[in-house]
Parts: sequence; C-alpha cells; structure tokens
Amino acid sequence: MASRSSNLTHPPVFRGVGRSILLTVPIALWSLLMFTPAFQHAGRNLRIGAVAAILFMTALFFLMMRTGETYRWRRIFFVALGFLFPVGFIASLVAERGTMSIPISRMVSGDTPFCFMVTPSLLVPAAFARTIIFPGSILPTASNPHSIAVMIGLWFAFTLVLGKAWCSYACFFGGIEEGFAAFPKRRRLHKFITRWGSRLRLVPWAILLFVVLGSAVLFEPVYCMWLCPFKTVTEFPAVRNVETAIQFGVFIALFAGLVVALPFLTKKRTQCGFFCPFGAFQSLFNKINLFEIRFDRAKCVDCTLCQTTCPTVALSSESIREGKTLLNCMKCGACVDVCKKDAAVWHLKGTPVAVKPERARLLFLYGAWALATMFGGSILANSVAAMIGFLPWK
Amino acid sequence: MAAFSLSACAGEALVLGLATGPVCLASCGPVVVPWMLVQPNGVRVHSRQLLLFLTARLAGYLAFAAALWLVGSTIPRSWPGRSWLFGSVQLLLAIALVVYAAGFPRRRCALAKPSTDLVQIGEASPPRSSGALALGFLTGINLCPPFLVAGVRAAQLATLSASLLFFLFFFAGTALWFVPFLSLGFVRRTPALVTVARMVAVLLACWYGFSGITNLIERALYG
Repeated sequence: MASRSSNLTHPPVFRGVGRSILLTVPIALWSLLMFTPAFQHAGRNLRIGAVAAILFMTALFFLMMRTGETYRWRRIFFVALGFLFPVGFIASLVAERGTMSIPISRMVSGDTPFCFMVTPSLLVPAAFARTIIFPGSILPTASNPHSIAVMIGLWFAFTLVLGKAWCSYACFFGGIEEGFAAFPKRRRLHKFITRWGSRLRLVPWAILLFVVLGSAVLFEPVYCMWLCPFKTVTEFPAVRNVETAIQFGVFIALFAGLVVALPFLTKKRTQCGFFCPFGAFQSLFNKINLFEIRFDRAKCVDCTLCQTTCPTVALSSESIREGKTLLNCMKCGACVDVCKKDAAVWHLKGTPVAVKPERARLLFLYGAWALATMFGGSILANSVAAMIGFLPWK
Repeated sequence: MAAFSLSACAGEALVLGLATGPVCLASCGPVVVPWMLVQPNGVRVHSRQLLLFLTARLAGYLAFAAALWLVGSTIPRSWPGRSWLFGSVQLLLAIALVVYAAGFPRRRCALAKPSTDLVQIGEASPPRSSGALALGFLTGINLCPPFLVAGVRAAQLATLSASLLFFLFFFAGTALWFVPFLSLGFVRRTPALVTVARMVAVLLACWYGFSGITNLIERALYG
C-alpha cells in the first residue's frame, strides 16, 4: 500500500478503484437502508434530496478510501451540513409558523424542538428537582418529533461510538465555522493563537461549569437563553422587550465574532475550540471512547505541522511528546493527513500504537460515516428538498 | 409553654431549611464552587473555608433577621427599596467574586517591585479568610426564595430572640446541604483547573454585575 502523502491539493492514489469500491459497499447499502422510508412515503422533492444525499455520502466515503485522506472529504460533508441545515430548518419554521422566532405559546405548550446543546444544563435540575428545564416534550409528538428523549437518545448513541468525534461528524453547527475557516488561503492571528491557545482552550470548560451552575440557579437553560451563537441562524425567543433584545444582540455578536470573523482570520474552529460548552462536555466521552489519534514517537520529527493545522488547538508540544492528543480532540483527521512522516495515526485503544493504523481508521470511519449518513444525511436530504421547493420552476 | 413554642419554632425552621436546602445549594453553589476550586486541595483547607463561608452566611442571616424583626414586617414585593437592595448586593457579590475568586486585581509583578518575600521557601501562603467571609456574608443577605420564605415567618414571631432562633435553625437545615462541597477538596488541583475556576468566577461576576445593574436601572426608571 502506498505511503500516504500529505499534499492536500492533489490527492494521491492510496488504494485501487476496485478495493475502494468494495470498502464503500457497506456504506452505500447503509445509505439505501436509511433512506428507504423516504422512497416509500415521502414526496418527490424529498426523494430527490434522498438520492442526492446517498450519492454525496457514498462518493465522499469512496474518496476517503481511495485517497487515504479523511479530513478533506469529511470537511466537504461537514461544511455542507453546516450551511444546509439552517436552510432546511428555517424553511420548515417559516412554513410552519411564518417566523424564526419562537412564540411564547409554543414554549408553554412544550413544542420547542430540542437541541442537544442543552444536555449539560439539564443534569443538575433533573438530578435535584426531577425537572427538565426545557420547554419541549419528553416524548415525540405529532407537532414536535424532535423531542427530548429522541434527541438525547440519538446523541448518546453517537457519543458512545464516536466520543468527541460528534463535533466533527454530526454537529450541524460546527460546519458553518469550518466553512468560514476554509475560505482564506493563509491564517492570520497565528501568533495570537500560539500565545493564548493553551488558555483559550480552557474557556469551554469554564462556560460549561458556568452554564451548569447558572441553569441550576435560574431553572432555565442559560446557554440557550443567553449564549448560543447559532440562535442567529435557527430560532430564537421573539424580541418583545429590552431583555430579549439584549439576548438577540448577544447571539448576533457571538455568531459574527466566533463563527464568522475569527474562523476566517485564524483558520480555526474558534467557537468549537474556544467557546462551546457542549464540546467540553463531549470531551469527557473521549475518555471512554475506543478510538483516538496517537503519535508514533519513532517517526515524529517535532515539526509541529500537526499542531498548527489542528482546527481546534487540541495538540500541544507536551501532548505530542507524550504521543497523544489533548482531551478536546475531535478526531477530524487533519493532523493525520498533514503529517509528512506518517507519525500521526488512528488508533484503537488496547492495541499497539502505529501497528495497522489503517485498520483502526477503517473501523472508526465505518461507525462515524454510518452515523453521519443517518443523522447528517437526512438533514442534507431535507434541506435539498426545501431548496427544490424554493425553485421557481418546481 | 414558652419552651414548647420555642422548640416548635426551632423544629419548623429546621424542617424549612432542610426542605428548601437544594434551592439554597443552587443559589449559593455558583459562588462556592469557583471559590473552593481556587483553593489548594485537601479536606482540611476546604472544611475551614466552608466553615468560614457558612459562618459569614449565618451572620448575614442573623443580621437580616434582626432587621426584619425591627422593621416588623416582611419586605413586600412593592417595597421601593427592594431593587436597590437586590442590585447593590449583586453588584457587591460581583466585585467580591472578581477580587477573591478570580484574584483580580493581581499583585504587581515581584520583579518590578522587589520585596523580601520575593523568594518563597516552603509551602504557599494559606488562602485568604476574608474571601470566604465576604462571599458568605453577601450570599447570606442575597434574597433567594427560601430566604424570603424564612423571612416571612421570622417577621411574624413575637420576639427578636425568637426571630434570630428561627433563622439560626433555618440556617442549620440549609447548611447540611453544603457538606457535599467538601468533596471538591479531593479534586486534584492542576493549573488548568484553577484557571477554569477563575474564569468561572469572572463569568459569574459578569452575570451578577449584569443582574445588579439591571435591578438598579429598573429602580431608577420605574421607581
């Protein structure tokens, strides 16, 4: 098998076409299985969306197999997910209620779609007061299929398989900033990140603790009410007084700063790496997850290319010396792809490091891509269907 | 008869404290957790800090109980000074968090101003007691819901001593809920953990500061 090249602009041949197709067959079959209901019951637009999603996801997986690169092809899916999710979501909101703002009546009736970001905020009030502090229904209803139980169930299933890779293969918010980070050719503010990165990556932990404590005091999901940048492109409480106006201002400022401007300037996922409390919470699951990135010290030449490339500053000189990533690694594969010496490798815990790393990568990618297809693929299909609905000649 | 009514009053206060303790825990937790996490680890240090915090909180309770009894009534919702009191206490709490938990303003660089204690040999200096006392007192007089419930009952009592006794037992009931905070003493302190705790303190200070200013503006605008 040819050695992996790090030249991201010209993908090298890593596997033969036949072998790559064979390895892609399980994902293709899985995609068909996932979208069977769409073919049986849905309308024409959703069927077209489903076909597009199947082809898209299968083609990307084939390219991962063929080139041996993970990050580049995953990023295409992830950015598409990030930018298309708001399209489908906003379209459904506008079609249903005529506005992106959540009416109080829907909050009172518990019809607010549940977002996984709230999960850490629910823990303390649920433990002490046996109360779910989110205005949504626990079980799915006709008007709200995205109930708390469904979303937490999906998230937990993902997390057991992927650990913090949720943030790179499933989170429909992270793709937006990854998209903005992909635009510029060179990174600016590099010195700022180098100097302050070690402290900045602690901020999500602080916000997580703040959000958990604050939610216990106020009995409301503090992150949703005050700190979520993605309210700007999803739904938000209707602006009806000074308080909600301030909230909305905070959402827009955080979105503009952390999701658009800073990723563009630094080529990093600044919201994910330096702000998101759910990401910090998700990091804890890296401890129990089977897959990780390791560094073969015998091959590593300490060039720090992986460190500068990592989109979430999840590598430090010390961690590389120890042959590990930091706890906040999202398993996006950027460091593995960029390493010229093949020192960064995928690893299955409990096996020797750098022995058959491609097997560990394959095992990880099958799980990750199957779940990405199930979750992200259906979002993509819905969004494509919504966009077809906008076409004037539909 | 008097002894019976006193013991009944004490029992009622204790039960009220135990019943509303989780709310007290949630209310004071945001202040206690970062404060405890910036201390060195060890149960002894944490016990001392928690004891100081609770003592100051008790002082706040008793001062408030005495004031309530002297006023002779509870603070009604329409009381004009309510927003001032709320706002001022929250602002003071924000300042105390910034000064004590977050450690700002920091001491000037020792190299810029050399002093005899520039070189420190042996263990680090013990944590400042004034932080636990200030934070405890301010959370003590912070008008959280259980506190207001206790205030209503205390104001109805016939004597000042009964009112103070009521708050003393109410405090004892709520204080039991604080014991789990001692477990923070077992958490291994790393520079990262202490930094996170300081960041949380700053965030909480911003939150209390915002709430305080909002209350004061509300008072200024609407009277």
